[in-house]
Amino acid sequence: MGPKELKKGVVVVGGGPAGLAAAVSAKASGCDDVVIIERGRMLGGILNQCIHDGFGLHRFKEALSGPEYAQRFIDQVQDLGIETLLNTMVLSINDSREILASSREGLFRIRAGAVVLAMGCRERTAGAIFLPGTRPAGVYTAGVAQNLINLQNIMVGEEAVIMGSGDIGLIMARRLALEGASVKGVYEILPYPSGLPRNIQQCLKDFGIPLHLSTTVVELHGRARLKGVTVARVDEARRVIQGTESFIPCDTLLLSVGLIPENELSREAGVAIEPLTGGALVDDTLMTSVEGVFSCGNVLHVHDLVDHVSEEADMAGHFAARFAVGEMKPRDSYIPIAPGRGVRYVLPQKISGEMDVVISLRVAEPMEQKAIVGRDQNGRGIFRKKQVKLHPAVMMRIKVKKEKLQGVSSMEVGVEG
Amino acid sequence: MKKELVCVICPNGCFLEADVVQGESGTEVRQVEGALCKKGVKWASQELVEPLRTIASSVLVEGGEIPLASVRTDQAIPLEAIGRVMEEIKKITVRAPVRIGDVILVRPSGAACNIIATRNVSPKGGQ
Amino acid sequence: MGNSGAKETTSGSSTPQYDVVIIGAGVVGNAIARELSRYALRIAVVEKELDVGMGTSARNSGVLHSGIHYKPGSLRAKLNVEGNSLMEGLCRELKVKIQYIGKLTVAAEDEEMPTLHALKEQGEANGVPGLEILDPEDMEKLQPGVRGLKALFSPTTGIICPYTFTIALAESALLNGVDYFLGEEVREVKRNGQKFTVRTRKGLGLVSKVLVNAAGVLSDKVCRMLGINDYTIYPCRGEYLVLDKRLGHHLSTLVYPAPHKGKAGLGIHLTKTVDGNILVGPSNEYVDGPEDWATTSYIMGKLREEGEKLLPSLTTSDIIRSFSGIRAKQAPPEEGGFRDFVIESRTDVPGFVNLVGIESPGLTSSPAIARMVRDMVSALVPLREKPEFKPELDRMTGYFHELSAEEQADLVAKDRDYGEIVCRCEQITRKEVLEAIENPLGVKSVTALKFRARVMMGRCQGGFCLPKIVRILQEDFGYRPEDFFLYREGSHLFTGRVRS
Repeated sequence: MGPKELKKGVVVVGGGPAGLAAAVSAKASGCDDVVIIERGRMLGGILNQCIHDGFGLHRFKEALSGPEYAQRFIDQVQDLGIETLLNTMVLSINDSREILASSREGLFRIRAGAVVLAMGCRERTAGAIFLPGTRPAGVYTAGVAQNLINLQNIMVGEEAVIMGSGDIGLIMARRLALEGASVKGVYEILPYPSGLPRNIQQCLKDFGIPLHLSTTVVELHGRARLKGVTVARVDEARRVIQGTESFIPCDTLLLSVGLIPENELSREAGVAIEPLTGGALVDDTLMTSVEGVFSCGNVLHVHDLVDHVSEEADMAGHFAARFAVGEMKPRDSYIPIAPGRGVRYVLPQKISGEMDVVISLRVAEPMEQKAIVGRDQNGRGIFRKKQVKLHPAVMMRIKVKKEKLQGVSSMEVGVEG
Repeated sequence: MKKELVCVICPNGCFLEADVVQGESGTEVRQVEGALCKKGVKWASQELVEPLRTIASSVLVEGGEIPLASVRTDQAIPLEAIGRVMEEIKKITVRAPVRIGDVILVRPSGAACNIIATRNVSPKGGQ
Repeated sequence: MGNSGAKETTSGSSTPQYDVVIIGAGVVGNAIARELSRYALRIAVVEKELDVGMGTSARNSGVLHSGIHYKPGSLRAKLNVEGNSLMEGLCRELKVKIQYIGKLTVAAEDEEMPTLHALKEQGEANGVPGLEILDPEDMEKLQPGVRGLKALFSPTTGIICPYTFTIALAESALLNGVDYFLGEEVREVKRNGQKFTVRTRKGLGLVSKVLVNAAGVLSDKVCRMLGINDYTIYPCRGEYLVLDKRLGHHLSTLVYPAPHKGKAGLGIHLTKTVDGNILVGPSNEYVDGPEDWATTSYIMGKLREEGEKLLPSLTTSDIIRSFSGIRAKQAPPEEGGFRDFVIESRTDVPGFVNLVGIESPGLTSSPAIARMVRDMVSALVPLREKPEFKPELDRMTGYFHELSAEEQADLVAKDRDYGEIVCRCEQITRKEVLEAIENPLGVKSVTALKFRARVMMGRCQGGFCLPKIVRILQEDFGYRPEDFFLYREGSHLFTGRVRS
C-alpha cells in the first residue's frame, strides 16, 4: 500500500514559536498552501510549559506568559486557515524536499514547494556533560522538570540543586521555590552567569537563592534516589581545584547546561551545519545549503528571546513562500560574513548584498564599553554599534542597510574598543 | 548613597546605578543612570522603595484536557506579598473550560491584583 | 510501579514448592530458566532487582565472542565456542537481532605478530571456525581506515543487544511456565533434609529440590549462605561512553588491539551496537562494591581521548551517555587476568548447582552454560520434555523505525498506535511502548521500558519522551506520581502532585 502521497506549498516542520510565525508569514507572503507539522498534541511547542511572564515585550508591548504568547500566533494560524497536522512526526526529509511523516492516520509522503525547518532544540543532558558518579533518580534537565511541573502536575523533588545558570535553570529555581521546595543553590562552571541578568535578579536574588560562579557539580551520590552532590570550585581552565569540594545534600539535580539545535532531520536532508551555532548555514533569506529548505528559531541557533525567534521566523516564512511560488531569483554570488575578534558567531553566514540584512551574533565573553564593528575585505567599516555592556547570554541583532553593502565582497564582525 | 541594581522589566536587563538618600519621608531616589529607557528610571525608583513583581503559577483544573491551568498576576505585586498570594493560588480548583484572561481570583490575600488564566484548557475529550 | 506479570510476594500462604529455584535473573539465570522450561519442572527465578537483566547483563559491550582468547580445554573456551554457535538459532526463536559482523584483532607492530599467530592457533584448537590472518589490503576492505601491520579476522564474532536478549530469554521462560519473583533479595538459604529453603528480605519463602546460584557479582555471597567459603568475587568495573548513532556507519566490523600480557580486560576499543550506536570502552578497575555502577571523570576523560584517537570525527556532542558494569572476577587484583568459570554440582551440598565467576564471555556462553546446567540438573531431578514447550516468541524482530516506509505504512494501517511516535530520537512508536508496558514480566520501572522499547536511549536521553511516557502511564494505566521508579526500589522519580 505504502505511504499516502501529498503535495504542498510550504511545509513548516514544528509548531512551536518559530513554526507558527513562519507559517503565518508564509501565508501572508502569498503561499496559499501552508501546512504545519507538529509532533506534539498541541501547537505552541515549548511555550506551553513556559508559564512565567516576560514574553512579547518587543512584539506585543506586553509581558505575556508563554502560553499566552503562543495563543496569539495560534489564533492567527486559525484565522488564516492554515492547515495543521498535530501528533505527527516527520521521520525524514530528503534533499528534493520530500517529507515522510507518521501519525495515527497513517504514513504520508509530502512533496513540498519549500520547507521551513523549525524543530527547536534539545537540552544537553547529564551524559553529554560527563557527569560522574552513580545514576540515581532525581536528575532532570530543567526543561523536563518544567514540563512535568507545569503541564503534568508532577512535583519532581523537595531539595534541589541547579547545575548551570541557563535561563531555564533560573526560571525553574524560582518555580521550585514558589512551590515550597528548598533550592540549595545554582552552580555555574563559568565565571559569569549564562542566563539573562534580569533572571539572576528576579529568579534568584528575590528568593535568596545563592549563585555560585566558577563552581560546578563534580559527582552524584545515591544508589536509588539522589542523596546529594559534590560541588567544587574550578580554575580559569575549568579544572577542579582540589580541596574545594563540598557535599550538598539534595534529592533533585536540575541541569541547565546548554541547548543543542535539533538538526538530525536537517542533516539527513543534506543541510550543511555550521559548527559555531550547531544550526544550518544560511543566507540572508535564511535558506540553507539545500535549495528551498529554510531554517529559523532555535533549530538555527539558540535564542534567548522568543520575540527574536518570531522575527527570524517571519523572514524564513516569507522567503519560503516566495520560493514555493517561484518568485525567488537565484543568486550567483554571496558575501561571506565571518565572526572576528570577541565574537562567537554571526548569522547569516553569507548575504547577497542586494537587500537590508539583520545580523544576529553573540559575543564570546562579557565585556563593557565596546563596539560591534563590521568591516569589509579592506578593513573599511560597514557598521559600528556601541554597547555599554556585552554579554554572551544576550544575542544581539544588528540591522544593516543594503546601501552600506556596496563594494563589499566579504565581511568580518568583531568587537573593538 | 549609590545603589546598583538590574532592571527586570525587559530582557535588556539594564545595569542601573541609583543615587539614594534616606529623607524624612523614607527612601528617596534622586538619580538613576544606565537605563536604556525611561521605564527603567521609574522602575528603579519603585524598586528601591517597594519592589514589585509579577508571578506565575498554576491552578488545578477539573475535567480538563490537561490537569493544570497556568495563571499569573495581572499587575505586579509587592515582592513581600508573593508568599501569601501563592498560598491562595494553591487552594484554587477551577473547572474546564478555562480561557486566557479568565479571572481566577480577585485580590488574593488583599494584594492589588487579580489572578488570571494564561492558557486555554478545553474540557477532556471535547473541544 | 504497578503492572506485574511476575509473582508478587504472598505472605501467610503456604511456602511454594519447586523443583528448581534459580537465584539471579541475569543472562545466565534466564538462559538456564529458559532451557529448563522445556521440561516438566516447577521452576522459579528469584531476583533482587525489579526487572531481569539489571546488572552486568545489561552493562557490557554486547559482543558475541568467537572464542580465540581462552585456553584450550577451559570451560570458557568450550562454552564460548558452543554458545556462539547456538546463538543464531536461539535469537531467531526469540526474535532478537543478531549480527555476525566479525572482528579484526590488529597487530600494530612486529612484536605483536607472534601474539596474533598464537591467538589463531589457540582459536583453532578451541574449534573457532574461519580464522584468517589478513594483510592491510584485506583489512581495509572489512574496515575502511583501519591501521595496522596485520590482523586476525574472526568471522563468528558478532553483536547482540545484551538486555534485549536477557529479557527475551526471561519472557520465553515465563511463557513456558517459569515463575519470576522480582524485587526479592535473597537473604537466607538453608538446606533442610533433601530440600533448600530460600528466604528473601521481604519474607518470601521458597522451597526447592535444586538450587542454582546464578547471582553473578554476588555469587560468592550466595555460596557463603550455604557455608561454602571457597570463592571470592573481586568486582572489576568497566566504564563505557555511548556515542550518537550518527557515527554508527563508521564501523563495519569490530577492531581490537592485540592483547597485552597482564591486562585483565581486552583493552579500550570501539564496539558497534545492533542499534547503531558505538560504545567506547570498557575500562578495567577493581572496585570495592559489587554494584558500584558509578562512572568517574578520570576514566571518562581517558575514554574520550581514546575515542577521539580511534574516531577522529568524534565531537563532544556525539557522546550521549556513560555507564559502567561490573565483572564478576575471581582473580584478585594482584593476580589479574582471568580464571576459568566455575560451574559445579556440589557434592558437599547435594542439589546445589553453583556458578561462580561468569565474567566475559558469559553472554556468549550463556546458551551453552544453560545446557551444561541442564545436564547437571538431570542428575538431580528427572527431566521429562514438555510437549507444550513453545520455543518462539510471537513478536517482531527489531523496531518499527528499522522497517521500510511501505512496511511502516502497512503496520500503521493495521494498528494506529504504530503511527504515533513517542520517542523522537529513536523513533519509537506508542505501540512499542504499550507492548513494553504490557510485557509478560510486568513493568515496575521506567528503565524496564527503556530496555524493552528503547525509549529514553537516544541522544536526548528522555528529554522528549519521558514526559510522554509519564502521560501514557498516568492517563492509560492509572499511575500516580509516587508509582514511578527509575529502576530499583527507592528510586522514586517523583515526590507527588504540584496541586491536589
